[in-house]
Amino acid sequence: MPDVCFYFQVHQPYRLRRFRVFDIGEERDPFADEENRRILERVAEKCYRPANALLAELIRRSEGRFRLALSLSGVLLEQLAAHAPETLESFQALVATGGVELLGETYHHSLASLGDRAEFETQIALHQAALHRWFGRRATVFRNTELIYTDALAPAIAAAGFRGVLVEGADHVLGWRSPNHVYAAAEEAGLRLLPRNYRLSDDVGFRFSTREWDGWPLTADRWAEWIATSGGDSVHVFCDYETFGEHQWRDTGIFEFLAHVPEAFARRGLRFVQPADLAAREPVGTLSFPLPTSWADIERDTTAWLGNGLQQAAHARVYRLREAVLAAADPALTERWRRLTTSDHLYYMCTKWFADGDVHKYFSPYETPYDAFVTYMNVLQDLEQRLAVPEAAVAG
Amino acid sequence: MPATPSRGLPDAVCLRVLMFGWEFPPFQAGGLGTATQGLVKGLVRQGAQVTLVVPFEAGASDLTALRLVSAARSMGAVTVHRIATPMTAYGGADAYLTTLEQARLGGVPTAVYGRNLQEEVERFAAVAGAIAEREAHDVIDTHDWLTFGAGLRARAASGKPLVAHIHATEFDRSGEAVDQGIARRERHGLASANRVIANSRRLRDLVVTRYQIAPDRVDVVHWGIDGARAAPGRPGGSPFPAGDPVVLFIGRITRQKGPETFVQVARRVADHVPNARFLMAGVGDFLPAVIERSVALGLADRMHFAGPLAGADVDRAYRLADVCVMPSVSEPFGLVALESLRNGTPCIIPRTAGASETIRNAFKVDFWDVEEMANQVIGLLRHPALRDELNRRGLEELGQPRFGLDEPARLTIDSYRRALAGAGAR
Repeated sequence: MPDVCFYFQVHQPYRLRRFRVFDIGEERDPFADEENRRILERVAEKCYRPANALLAELIRRSEGRFRLALSLSGVLLEQLAAHAPETLESFQALVATGGVELLGETYHHSLASLGDRAEFETQIALHQAALHRWFGRRATVFRNTELIYTDALAPAIAAAGFRGVLVEGADHVLGWRSPNHVYAAAEEAGLRLLPRNYRLSDDVGFRFSTREWDGWPLTADRWAEWIATSGGDSVHVFCDYETFGEHQWRDTGIFEFLAHVPEAFARRGLRFVQPADLAAREPVGTLSFPLPTSWADIERDTTAWLGNGLQQAAHARVYRLREAVLAAADPALTERWRRLTTSDHLYYMCTKWFADGDVHKYFSPYETPYDAFVTYMNVLQDLEQRLAVPEAAVAG
Repeated sequence: MPATPSRGLPDAVCLRVLMFGWEFPPFQAGGLGTATQGLVKGLVRQGAQVTLVVPFEAGASDLTALRLVSAARSMGAVTVHRIATPMTAYGGADAYLTTLEQARLGGVPTAVYGRNLQEEVERFAAVAGAIAEREAHDVIDTHDWLTFGAGLRARAASGKPLVAHIHATEFDRSGEAVDQGIARRERHGLASANRVIANSRRLRDLVVTRYQIAPDRVDVVHWGIDGARAAPGRPGGSPFPAGDPVVLFIGRITRQKGPETFVQVARRVADHVPNARFLMAGVGDFLPAVIERSVALGLADRMHFAGPLAGADVDRAYRLADVCVMPSVSEPFGLVALESLRNGTPCIIPRTAGASETIRNAFKVDFWDVEEMANQVIGLLRHPALRDELNRRGLEELGQPRFGLDEPARLTIDSYRRALAGAGAR
């Protein structure tokens, strides 16, 4: 009988406001403060507060047997502190139950792991400081933005003090092997890898309310049965926290489903474990990720953020600015720049499948990926002009 | 979508369509001619036979102007009748009188034509009735108000069901300065037809609200384009200095197409991209005002007027350009968007254009939003990666069946069948 490990991701970006070429040099704040606040309040009401209350109740009722992990981005925590302090308190209360492990990530939910190694390390440290500040915790297991992982990142992650990393259980990496085990990292034998079981995760994260799906309607009992019979040592179920109440609306029955999970799992003899428990276990083998792998789309690669020329140009340009930003030693400008490293900005520029209309569109505030690119490049141009970066240094 | 009826109806392979059009290549002034040609081609590829009757501007060619019906030109499954008339596709009542006068001054005998546009529409309709009696057909298809009367006469003569295509209403062409006579004929034709085909959802909603047409009698069939001609790439021999980016406006220079907005956008862009060139291709009653305005805004040496373009020159203009801007106040479909994509030129189109309902890989904008259009143009001119991605994705998208000729033709035939199935009940 495998153990079960739940982890949910909690993140909201600082979206940009409409920023035209004529706004460059006009001392305008590039972030859509009102819209960001409105979305935060909506998600807090529909998802964070009810889900926090329910999970806290389930942990208490199970006397600690029901446990899970959360990862909260730094930019989310900041926004909660500024605009929804009572929601931040409900996260603090949930963590105080003792049933929640907090994971490490980049404070700005960025692609720094692929853009600039030094910045990657800095943003990890910023996030640890935030966990300490708001929760009095320090993370020992890491999850990178969108579960992006590749062998070359292992030494930096281990050096930052982590014992384990959450990764995508991608078929092209696992081959014949099951995701339901703890593995060792190829480049860093002491680092444990916890691969996501994407089928069982997506049953809830994506398919829960899909009536055309032959598993619909999914009950906690049925899901527990699937997990109990899926083999291996531990099943790693990872998805967005917004699954509860935002991606899957309340009227789909998602909260009732969640409420029955601890009981249904206990009846099957399934035990809940946390990433830190798993990172202390012996690996069954070694997994190698030669190329960056993520939990997105069917490809499980990084093309949702870096798949086209727009995204590559934007990504290269923002990291080229780092040196000049740090040299300016202006905390407000540095923070503005770091917010621009948030991966969502690149995601909005994704053009694959755009012609078909798809899941990407739901998550974008822009009418087209092209508007996202123009806005982002205008904001970067504005930042460059403030830094007085010489043209030659930023060309391209 | 309602089930396609089949009981007792002819198969597509022998469906005979009597079609009354507004304009047809090579004599055309706008997108409607191209769209009609595409539709006919698609219908024939689906196995239908089409007899097309189109007005033909008297005095515009050396064909005998006096003949009521020109010698029918048969091209396999298509037979084209050109009826000589001073009516022009996009002209109103005044334009008719001007053309009539010019024809008279040019020595063309004009006694046969109506003394005004409405009389001439009646005459055209009478000719239509005669053709309907002669040409065997199963269904009658008409295109916009000028031909609705002809369609009704044809139906009276043959008893076959009438389908009314609507490509633009009088409200689109004239804003609120509506010619009530035209609006009356438009409403009458749409209300009397067995079925209506609109070229966008927006236009369907417009005829439903403006003319109280029952929504379940209106089918939406977006225009397609003949993708076979796609051959993007820069043409040789640009008239502009190498490296100067080119911003294109192409279309009739009339109120409906927003040419003055284009001049304002050009002014904003020129401030930020000093070597940008602005090319306006087309003619229309707003041309003098547009020229004056661009001179007043200091754009005299940047704004270039190409006049009306046809055939290969149209594609060349698109390919010369780095971006095509369509600032139309009203654009029921907007074929320019498809033509631009086909030539690998990114385009900026009004959010309300019918084309916006089908094309995803384009910038969408409010027609009055000069600042946003300029922002998008400058973004496109500054970032080659943006142009490349739009080119690539646009061409890829255009390859989908909904932009070809076959799918619109199939949907049109579905609509004919609904008309045939419901005709008995009327």
